[in-house]
Amino acid sequence: MTATQSPADCTEAPPYDPAGRPPTPAGRQSDRRLRLVGLNRIGRAFHGLAIATAAGVVALLGAVVLVLLEASGGSSARTGPAFLVGQTWDPVHNVYGALPAISGTIATSGLALLFAVPVAIGVAIFLTEFVPRRLREPIAALVDLSAAVPSVVWGFWAILVVAPFVGHSVEPVLARWTGGAGPFARPPTGFDVLSASVVLAIMVLPTISAISRSALGAVPRSQREAALSLGATRSEAAWLSVLRPARSGIVAGILLGFGRAAGEAVIVVGLIGNVYALPTSLFAQGQTIAGEILNDLNSGLPPERSALVELGLLLLVVTVLVQLAARGIVRWAEASRPRFGSDRSGRATRILREFGSGGLPPDPGPGAPAAPGRRPHPRTRPGHRRIVRRARGIAAVALTGAATTLALLPLVSVLGTAISFGGVAAVHPSFYTSELPAACPAIAQASCPIGGIGPAIQGTLLLVGLASLVAVPVGILAGVYLSEYGRGRGTSIVRLAADLLVGIPSVLIGLFVVVVLLQGAPALDNTALAGALALGVLMVPIVTRATEEALKAVPQAAREAALALGFPRHRATIRVVLPSARYGLITGIFLAVARAGGETAAVVLTAFGSPYWFAGLNHPVSSLTLVIFEQGSQSSYSNWQADAWGAALVLLVLMLGVSVAARLMARGATRPDPEA
Amino acid sequence: MSGKLNVDGLNAWYGRQQVLYDLTLDLPESGVTAVIGPSGCGKTTFLRCLNRLHDELPGARVDGRVLLDGTDVRRLEATEVRARIGMVFQKPTPFSHMSIYENVAAGPRLLGLHRREDLDRAVWASLVRAGLWEEVRDDVDALGTSLSGGQQQRLCIARAIAVEPEVLLMDEPCSALDPIATAKVERLIAELKERYTIVIVTHNLPQARRVSDRTAFFYLGKVVEFDRTSAVFDHPKEALTENYVQGRFG
Ligand SMILES: Nc1ncnc2c1ncn2[C@@H]1O[C@H](COP(=O)(O)OP(=O)(O)OP(=O)(O)O)[C@@H](O)[C@H]1O
Ligand SMILES: [Mg+2]
Repeated sequence: MTATQSPADCTEAPPYDPAGRPPTPAGRQSDRRLRLVGLNRIGRAFHGLAIATAAGVVALLGAVVLVLLEASGGSSARTGPAFLVGQTWDPVHNVYGALPAISGTIATSGLALLFAVPVAIGVAIFLTEFVPRRLREPIAALVDLSAAVPSVVWGFWAILVVAPFVGHSVEPVLARWTGGAGPFARPPTGFDVLSASVVLAIMVLPTISAISRSALGAVPRSQREAALSLGATRSEAAWLSVLRPARSGIVAGILLGFGRAAGEAVIVVGLIGNVYALPTSLFAQGQTIAGEILNDLNSGLPPERSALVELGLLLLVVTVLVQLAARGIVRWAEASRPRFGSDRSGRATRILREFGSGGLPPDPGPGAPAAPGRRPHPRTRPGHRRIVRRARGIAAVALTGAATTLALLPLVSVLGTAISFGGVAAVHPSFYTSELPAACPAIAQASCPIGGIGPAIQGTLLLVGLASLVAVPVGILAGVYLSEYGRGRGTSIVRLAADLLVGIPSVLIGLFVVVVLLQGAPALDNTALAGALALGVLMVPIVTRATEEALKAVPQAAREAALALGFPRHRATIRVVLPSARYGLITGIFLAVARAGGETAAVVLTAFGSPYWFAGLNHPVSSLTLVIFEQGSQSSYSNWQADAWGAALVLLVLMLGVSVAARLMARGATRPDPEA
Repeated sequence: MSGKLNVDGLNAWYGRQQVLYDLTLDLPESGVTAVIGPSGCGKTTFLRCLNRLHDELPGARVDGRVLLDGTDVRRLEATEVRARIGMVFQKPTPFSHMSIYENVAAGPRLLGLHRREDLDRAVWASLVRAGLWEEVRDDVDALGTSLSGGQQQRLCIARAIAVEPEVLLMDEPCSALDPIATAKVERLIAELKERYTIVIVTHNLPQARRVSDRTAFFYLGKVVEFDRTSAVFDHPKEALTENYVQGRFG
């Protein structure tokens, strides 16, 4: 069948007629032939376009790496290896050292994992092993929803809720217990390494728990039942048969969580205290790589900028390595079937062989003790062990249940806080249409104009809309390439590039866009166009991978049916495959839109922000996240605070709405297609 | 009341769908009981009700009584029931990440056997009794899943008997095995029946005839006939049974 192999073959071959009917009259046949040639051109063009966009995704990754490498040149030439161990960041004397930022990044993301991982695994175990089936879906949906809360909202909420709690209730207690020794030195303030880590943990928890959950869920039911049939309790069955096989998936989730925590800028800037010094204590102020870039890039002069780029390069290397490690672990666990169980030394073999060298055990007759010389069977021994096992089972359920409750608390709290602080402003219709008011000190509260976030809403819609306009078609085409045209090495390179791009911290994408614009078109830095560009770069890989997954879910039979009808490949793709995958495609687009709409760091660096309505693509522009980030941090202006909370509420409603819609779509995608 | 396991008025459902109807049968203390019947008639479900594994499925429901030595299994702890009633599944299910040794030791460990010596003895004795020892003696640290299908199934039998159960349920233990491996498992059943009450589900009628002392014929979730194997096969009382054992069945 020529049609299935390559559309190009059709040019020379006679038109394929599946029914084997007699040739059509000459005129019509040449007509049809003409059409086929035309179709082939389109087919080839489509194929070429798909390959080109896919190559573009790889090129994008390459560009990010090369541009940052190149732009840091000035700095690395000047400071060299001293950069890595230097402890000061002094733009006045042009002395730059990265050690405080590096150690701040490691400390905060390490601590964040320390807090998040046990809770996340607890949630995953509770949801896959213990929770009644009926509650599983709703609870899982709520945990997943926390992932849709933008980090700027977490940060803003945390300044109000987490920092005071940590500063007043947790740290003084810790300090008293430990006598203020070592890592507990320094007066507690609530704006320090500990607070930042706690909030980072809250942010990465849903990611880690979702990945762990799918790893646990992938262990077949028969393994659990095998354990149960030996008399294991449910928690013992989980321990015996589920946790170990899922280990590699869980580790991969932890690594990805580490990457996200290390790359997060907005939360850090809000909570760590922003002091460029080594984090000598949990209660010390500090800084991270991402935080330093976000803080200084917009105001920095060229020498400092290239030092910041060099910092960014470090972060890039770390996140890429972490992601490669995560992929490697999963691959390794899938590919290698280790020949040995956990005891690799062959100890049991040696011991048992001696055991058995005396010959077979005497065949016990009926009623004889079961094994030679064995003690009374443990089951028949007093019930103390039974109580221990039962208690352990209850403890496992209680602990994982508590973890799940704990994991849901932040979402509840952030929603409650946003409603109570932002609700007042958000009920005024004028809030959505008017500009930011003049700043108004807290004392004059009564007469303060409330104003609104009209420009911010406009800006967000504009930025996300512009970004989607480019990123969605590009991402879909690249996804089509991966799923429909891709073969061999090329595909895996494109897929790897898209995966790595997804994992690159957004602050680095912002940095990349700034550097490119400063070199190519300095006038466009700090404009709406720059912001849209950065968001587009963020969205492309997300849409690409989501498209690939959605298209792969379309049964091969649907493609073959279309090809067998004589559809050229591109028409089969456009007419059959893409429409059947529509739910999955829309889910992917929604996820990408949510990611862009909630993005802050990249927008701060590129679109800059503005209190005014949109004034042109070459002017700075506002956005919801920017209002929260900028006005929210001005704690002395009460009406700005209220506006920021209103913006947070609007953003939350939008993000949660999009996320719920995406879930519903995804559910539609798994249901059999009524029209197919 | 006589017998090891007495099933009395057992009904079972998956969601709304009832699959077992009012089963009543008494399984004797020793010997092998074969359960035969067409696909989907509820044989597996029956076994899973005996060791309360049916309770673990969401939406599944049972009523009626299963007495183990005269005590209703639902009044015992599920873990105790399952330690006393072992099970071997249709497809071999060695723990995928454990060595042969660890697979067999898993059950005794649950019951509190932790001294290396005791574990070694239990593992060794179980492997010997499951007829696997000679084949794995040089490599009990290899992964359980690295064995052949027949060896894996005998490993699962070893794992089940390491817990010293009183009853052993086997759900089509040979359906994935070649004739040689099947013969080994059958020989094993003949040896084990001295010490355990064995219930075996099989689609292989000659096998049921070879290994069992009694046979229950299930049809559409009901027991049609339950008697000595020779009686069921040679002088069935019911026409349905006769049709089935003579292979005249859809
Ligand atoms: N997990 C389940 N959920 C819903 N229905 C089930 C489930 N397992 C079995 N059933 C249904 O219960 C009925 C009995 O199934 P069961 O597995 O007990 O039959 P069986 O006699 O063991 O069949 P086979 O010989 O094919 O193994 C079947 O109609 C089946 O569709
Ligand atoms: Mg069955």
